[in-house]
Amino acid sequence: MYKKLYIKILLTFLLVFFSGTSITHENISHNIDIASGDKCVEPTDIMRAQHHIFLNKQSHDTVVDGIRTKKYSLNNCINCHIQPSADGTYPSVKSEEHFCSGCHIKAAAQVECFDCHASKPFNNEKIEEEISKK
Amino acid sequence: MKKYEIKLDRRNFLKNSVSVGLVTIAPGVFLQEIAHGRSLDEPASDKIRWGMLIDTNQCTEDCDACVTACNEEHGIEDFGRPTTDTQWIRKLNLTNEFTGKKYSLPMMCQHCENPPCVDVCPTGASFKRADGIVLVNKHTCIGCRYCMMSCPYKARSFVHENLENQLPHAPRGKGCVESCNLCVHKIDNGENNTACAEACVKDGHQAILFGDLNDPKSEISKQLSEFGAKEIRSDLGLNTAVRYRGI
Amino acid sequence: MKNLIRYKSIELDRKVFYPISIVFILLSMCFYAFVTLEHEGHWLTGMNNQIVWGIPHVFAIFLIVAASGILNIASISSVFGVSIYKPLSRLSGLLAIGLLVGGLMVLVLDLGRPDRLIVAMTTFNFKSIFAWNIFLYTGFLFIVVIYLWMMFEGRYNKFVQQVGMFAYAWRIILTTGTGSIFGFLVAKEAYDSAILAPLFIAMSLLFGTAIFIQAIYYIKTTFDVNTEEIIFKRLKKLMLYFILAVFYFTILYHLTNLYATTHHDYEFFLLFEGNIYTYLFWIGQILIGTLLPLYLVSSKKFYNCWNTLLLSSLLVIIGGFVQLYVIIISGQAFPLDIFPGYIESSSFGDGEVAKYIPSIYEFMLGFGGIAIALAIFVLGILSLEFIPDSLDDERLQS
Repeated sequence: MYKKLYIKILLTFLLVFFSGTSITHENISHNIDIASGDKCVEPTDIMRAQHHIFLNKQSHDTVVDGIRTKKYSLNNCINCHIQPSADGTYPSVKSEEHFCSGCHIKAAAQVECFDCHASKPFNNEKIEEEISKK
Repeated sequence: MKKYEIKLDRRNFLKNSVSVGLVTIAPGVFLQEIAHGRSLDEPASDKIRWGMLIDTNQCTEDCDACVTACNEEHGIEDFGRPTTDTQWIRKLNLTNEFTGKKYSLPMMCQHCENPPCVDVCPTGASFKRADGIVLVNKHTCIGCRYCMMSCPYKARSFVHENLENQLPHAPRGKGCVESCNLCVHKIDNGENNTACAEACVKDGHQAILFGDLNDPKSEISKQLSEFGAKEIRSDLGLNTAVRYRGI
Repeated sequence: MKNLIRYKSIELDRKVFYPISIVFILLSMCFYAFVTLEHEGHWLTGMNNQIVWGIPHVFAIFLIVAASGILNIASISSVFGVSIYKPLSRLSGLLAIGLLVGGLMVLVLDLGRPDRLIVAMTTFNFKSIFAWNIFLYTGFLFIVVIYLWMMFEGRYNKFVQQVGMFAYAWRIILTTGTGSIFGFLVAKEAYDSAILAPLFIAMSLLFGTAIFIQAIYYIKTTFDVNTEEIIFKRLKKLMLYFILAVFYFTILYHLTNLYATTHHDYEFFLLFEGNIYTYLFWIGQILIGTLLPLYLVSSKKFYNCWNTLLLSSLLVIIGGFVQLYVIIISGQAFPLDIFPGYIESSSFGDGEVAKYIPSIYEFMLGFGGIAIALAIFVLGILSLEFIPDSLDDERLQS
């Protein structure tokens, strides 16, 4: 009797666990102005589906082989896609305003990149600060 | 903005000088020039072995320009907790037990040819690049810290804290081990110098010399063959790329 | 004759309420510590850039080493054919699994990036003894499960000896591998020694037996398993041999270090300098962990007294824990001699003994490992027939 209950619980758990509709980038719309440059390094549908593949390959090539091509580099993505808001600050990677997080938070797919990588373009604030000090 | 522009200028200058080299200098030198100023899409070459020569006679105890420069270059912050704060390069003060003579020198990853940290790393995250630079691939580092146990120079630090505002060229994050990367981003850009060496010169000392150990014509090779230099813990047979003079 | 040994599983009732609540409390504390460390970073622990492995590793290595040793009870029965231990084989296999999983969990939870466990399981550097250990540990689990299956399934009983032999060999390699994690560190004066491998094997046998005695006593008192003289005498004798073995290798280890001039400084630091490690070594490891239990198990005064055996095994467990603490922490605390012949100083702790004050979080992680071992033990005896219904002399001799 208990065994049956156990199996029922297990099946329910598995059903819930695997039944979530798969969320892909196509399901999510976001309108983000790309301020510099008029298009991305690949067509939008390819970027949506495969950006992580490009980034993974690039990360390996850069770290292991020292190849620093710009095209698929994360810095290149950030420099174009992350733009300051009206008050001149960059969106935090934790907020949905951040280009990457916008999708990734909705899709509940965790981005590991920004544990280490800069989530905004080269730190202009700091340089401006330095200049103003001088 | 200013700082950034200067960097770009220098890079352009280097690129130009390489192309001038292509045209004018004799073929033997020409090959070497290509190897040094490799283009962005070219992988690091095993014909090169980057290294440093440290002249302890030029290094003074009260100067820590190299440490400051390193921290600034890689965005290494001080959390006010000395035992867990990251140090890629540190000033080591020595007193000879027998003679009593004092020395001061910078200590960092020695970029061994046979690095123990690479041997012990379970995932292969700790690795040696083709041009001899020992690095941590933070995409595969699991933070087990076995490499720190194995390093005879205590060159590695574990990131104990949450980091924010990392620099684009220096990705660093909590839970990974890191150490001196010989300013690998500057090498890949063709600058071929390290922040510490630049700072040392700027501060009026000539204690750190960076260069290609495999190129007999490089300044570092010339000095090495002329003055000789010591490998630290040479008893371990690691063949380090950082050598010390005057001790 | 064969059917004399009977096994029983335990009903879920008030008797197991006590261990289950301990498991629950310890595991929730462990989970809290893990989440906090994962969120805040390792600066909250006592570990730092000098002492990179701390209390969690002491717990983890203790549990892993004991896991290998506790399977020795099963090995004695199926490999060396001492049938007296046969009724205990199942329990020994179960405890081996529990301890190993507990130890591994502590190791994993203490990683800087535990979320990358999948990386550790898929990317290997085969030059690293650590990578080999990942195979040795998972392989050990797999083999013990097969071993248990052979024991439980009557039709396959005939294979128990072969599988047991294999498990025995695997066990020795596993403990050698664990000892070699330290033995291969050329840079550290305390570790650069091949004797660490046999020392770890001896330690595994001792710790495993000590924990097994506690487990036997627990099932004896809680689930009314009758024990008589034979089993008591046998376990006591095992304890005696293994205490002597560990003692022997400990002496050998320090004597070889004392023979090599380069290691004199470390030996002096550990044995005579009068720091925390000196006290832990002499009082914790030698007095409490070795001499006292040695006296208790060898003295004629305490003949056939379960309480002394229980006490001595408890002392051995404490002493063993201290021994691992001394090996792991003191070896790191002792300053590296980067420039032999020079007095060194820096902002990075060069030339000075590194300080280590373990934090509560580390203990919470460590006790979580013990909780996992306990949980697997309780789940095991609840669901399958691990416990022999009696260990009286007549049955053991059959």
